[in-house]
Formats: sequence, structure tokens, C-alpha cells
Amino acid sequence: MDKNLMLERAEILVGAVDDLPTIPVVATQVIQMLDDPDVSVEEIADLMLTDQVMTARVMKLINSPVYKPAHEITSLRRALVYLGLRHIRELALTTSVIGAFDADSGAIGLNLFWEHSFGVGMVSKIIARKVGYEDLEKAYIAGIIHDLGEVFLSNYLREPFQEVLDKIKSHPIKLVDAEADMLGTTHCEIGLCIARKWNFPEVYCEVISCHHNPGRATIDPILSAIVNLADLFCTVRELNYGGSQWISFNLNEEEAWSILKKASPALAQLDEERFCYELDDAVPDVKELVASIFNSTERVNP
Amino acid sequence: MAISDKDFEQLRDFIYNLCGMYFHATKKYFLESRLTRRMEATATKSVQDYYLLLRSPRGTEEIKYLMDEVTTNETYFFRNVPQLAALETKLLPEIVEAKNKMGFRKLRIWSAASSSGEEAYTMAMILLEKRTTLLKDWIIEIVGTDINETVIAQAKEGIYNAYSVRNIPDVYRRKYIREDNGKFILSPEVKKFVTFNKLNLYEDSKMIFMKSFDFIFCANVLIYFDTASKSKVVQHFYNNLQPYGYFFVGQSESLHGVNDKFKTVHFPGGFGYKK
Repeated sequence: MDKNLMLERAEILVGAVDDLPTIPVVATQVIQMLDDPDVSVEEIADLMLTDQVMTARVMKLINSPVYKPAHEITSLRRALVYLGLRHIRELALTTSVIGAFDADSGAIGLNLFWEHSFGVGMVSKIIARKVGYEDLEKAYIAGIIHDLGEVFLSNYLREPFQEVLDKIKSHPIKLVDAEADMLGTTHCEIGLCIARKWNFPEVYCEVISCHHNPGRATIDPILSAIVNLADLFCTVRELNYGGSQWISFNLNEEEAWSILKKASPALAQLDEERFCYELDDAVPDVKELVASIFNSTERVNP
Repeated sequence: MAISDKDFEQLRDFIYNLCGMYFHATKKYFLESRLTRRMEATATKSVQDYYLLLRSPRGTEEIKYLMDEVTTNETYFFRNVPQLAALETKLLPEIVEAKNKMGFRKLRIWSAASSSGEEAYTMAMILLEKRTTLLKDWIIEIVGTDINETVIAQAKEGIYNAYSVRNIPDVYRRKYIREDNGKFILSPEVKKFVTFNKLNLYEDSKMIFMKSFDFIFCANVLIYFDTASKSKVVQHFYNNLQPYGYFFVGQSESLHGVNDKFKTVHFPGGFGYKK
């Protein structure tokens, strides 16, 4: 189906929703402040602390196995210093996306959604390291937000989307193909519209739009390819929206695999069987992380 | 006896590199209990000592005992659920469609380490259910082979205990299993689809006659073979498959680095090797 037509349809669907969540004012301000080259960690921390929920989530993320500090970090200032200003923008982005969609009333359970998202984030980071991608956190964040459009479909187009889910249950049809077929658009175009509304940096907009066709990416095809592969692996290894989608793949037929092998020929030696088994071992960590982020009520030291 | 995470990872990597079997973190307790038995039998005092034994010249023999302990030689019906689901959902319909186009309506399946027959009969039940739909007017041949004549006799008999049949979904159980005094007897309707023969996978002269299979299963056997024998046997399986046929190993096994002709196909909860 024509990508432009699907994008037009996505714009109409997203535009028709009056109460589309916004990302927190504080997050937008933090992201803007970071454009100022002279901004200090102190200023950012002071602003972030005005939003306790966001602060708590930042602390959960920073202490998660993904960032792995040697000792638990309990103050926001230390967390920001540990991360470096470069990554605060990304963390602000992630935590605000988590905050924007926290009503568990969609066709896909919110926990299942975030388990898949954080799983793809984690695996993206692992693949990024294997291919020598320069910014591991960027890969992690891109993985976390890649399926943004799915939450919209699940919450705002609940019934038609449920029909899509019913159709693919136990049938070897990819979710994205069934969406195009039955809804006239997919979570990629919907996600792109939302990300643009929220002024996400272009590189993340591209991943959201191209994570099923990394070959179409122009800004950073390697990043889209990383997220595409991570998505495939998570979908076959228990981080799969509770098994709603039946897919199968062979790496040698995947465009993402060719893109990444071109960037890093050593990747051809990947022990994909062991990679899957290790991923199985990491699933409980991902579930625990998601549970801890969504049950984070404790307050944090400045 | 508790093993430290570091010792567990060291052992896991050693076993994986040698045998191609991966111990998931959730199986740590299981490895602990089986390891304790082997440490007693070999009079080794610590996990490190046992690890050194495995790496010594005596290790070649010892690893076989350890594998015996951890695979427990147990088998049961409907054991590898993700594999069976992939077969039913996608792989079987694909092959049936391709063969229908050629007008060649015959399906051949090989359980290459069939033990007491559970895997072969599981396939028979699944295919029997499709006799009026997908596989209408098809010829179905299922072959089970094993090196051990005692288990072949058991397979031919088709009488099982409660443990073996515990995973059979109700829909199959009602149709194909009859209970008699604590024994579970397989219906002749299922049995007639399967033949069992003695076969040593090392015997090249016999392996070359196992021809034209669409699916081959070989679970928990290749882990006992050294790399050279494993490569040879897997190459036989490759040759014995029809074009586009599939080869499957056990749930935690890997053929990485054993054969570069097969293509790994991932599906939910598992993977298979496609010719």
C-alpha cells in the first residue's frame, strides 16, 4: 500500500482525537533548555524536580540494568551528572512517553506494551554494541519508543484494532501488514504523526516510521535496522505483546540484516541460537524493570 | 549444593561450546542437583574441581555422564509445544501448498532418535487431525529410528505411563488414548502411521537410504557427539530432506557452527533449520 496514502490516513485519525495526550510541560521545557549550550546540570535538575513522577521514573531507569551504575544512584543531580547532558534529552523523552500513555484501557495491556518496548530497547542496545554503533543510549531509546503508534491504535481505535489482533491470532500474518490491510494505515505512520506533534528529534521520528522498512530510512538507516532486528527477536522470544502476533523470520532474508552486515561484517558470525537463549534469560529482568517503573511511588532526593 | 553465578556461567559456556546445549538461568537449580550427583560419583570436592575434570582428558567420558543426568532420557507426548505450533501454523501448510502444486501428495516425517515413540506418535496425532482438511487424500509416512532395540520394542507396543501422556491436549487424548488400569494405550489408528526401525546415526551406509523427508526431528542426541561426528550426521540430515524441508533439534540445543547450509528460521518460542 502507498506509504503517502497511509500517512494521510494516519494524520486524519490522529487529528480526529481531541484528547490526545501531551507530553509533560516539564519535559518539553527540559528538552528546550538543553538547546542552550550554557545550561548547567543544576538548572536542569531544579526544573525536573518540579515533576516528581518524572523524577521517580528517571531514577528507576538510571538504576536499571540498562545503565548499570556501579552503586545505586539516589540523587537526581548525581544521576544527571552520571548520564551527561547529552542523554538527558533522551531520558526526558522516554519518561514523558511513558507518562503520556498510562491509562490501561486499550486493546493491548499496558504492561505487555512496555515489556515489548523495553525489551526492544534492551536488545537494540545489545545489537548496537555488536555492530559498533556509536551511541548505545540512542539505540536504547529508539527501541523503547518505536511502537508509539501501537498505543494510539490500542486506545483510540480500540474496536477496529481488536479486530486486527483477532485476525492475526495464530495466523502467520504480520501485525503491520494486517493493520495496513484492515485499517488503511499502520502503527508506523500513526507513531510518526504523534512524534511530530510532540516535536521529537527527526532521527527518532524516522525510527518510528521506518522500523519495519529500514531500507527507507535516510537519516540513520543503521539505527532503524537495529530496532527492526531487535523487534523481530523480541517478537519470537516472549516479549511479544503476550503472543498476539505469529511471525517467523530468517535473518538472511531480512533487509536490516544486510544493512547491518554491511556496516559490520563480523556480525555474520553471530550465534543467533545462543542470542535467543540469552534473550530468554533476560526476559525476567525486563519484566521486573517495567513493573518497577509503573509502580514507582517513592519520592526521590534532590 | 548451590553454585555461584560465576561458576554457573563458566559451566554453562563450557557445556554450550562443547555440546551445543544451553542452560537457561531458570535451570540453574536443576543443574545444581544433577551436578551434585556427578560430583559424588567422581569424588570431586568443588564445582571448580569438577570443571577442571571436564576440561581434562577424562572429561570426554565424564561429559557424557553429565549429559545423561541433565537430559534424563525422558520423553513425553507434545513435548516441544512452540515447535509443534510452528509446524501446524506455518511450516506444514507451506510445504503442503508447494507439494499440492506439484501434484505430489505425500508427506514423510522422521523422528531420528525416537526412543519409546512419543515424538513420532505426537506427529501422527497432529497429522491425523488434518486428514479431512489440509491432508485430505495425502499419503503420510512417519518413521521412528533409534539405536536401542529395547525402546524400539516399547514404541511398537504403544503403551505409556501417566507421565508420558500428561501433556496431550484433551482433544487428542479423548480420541487416541485409552486408559486401562493406570496404563495408557495408544489407538491402532495412530500406530498404523508410524514404523520403527533400529538405526545408528553414525552408520553412513544406512543413513544414505533415509530419503526424501519433509521434516526431521532429532532432539537431545547430537549433544553427545563430538564436532566432527555432529557435522557429518547433520550433513546426512540435510541430504535426507526434500528441498525446503525442515530439521529440528531439542528445546535448548543449537547447531551454530555445525553446518552452514541450513538456514535458521525463527518462530515464536523456537527455531528450526530449513534446507
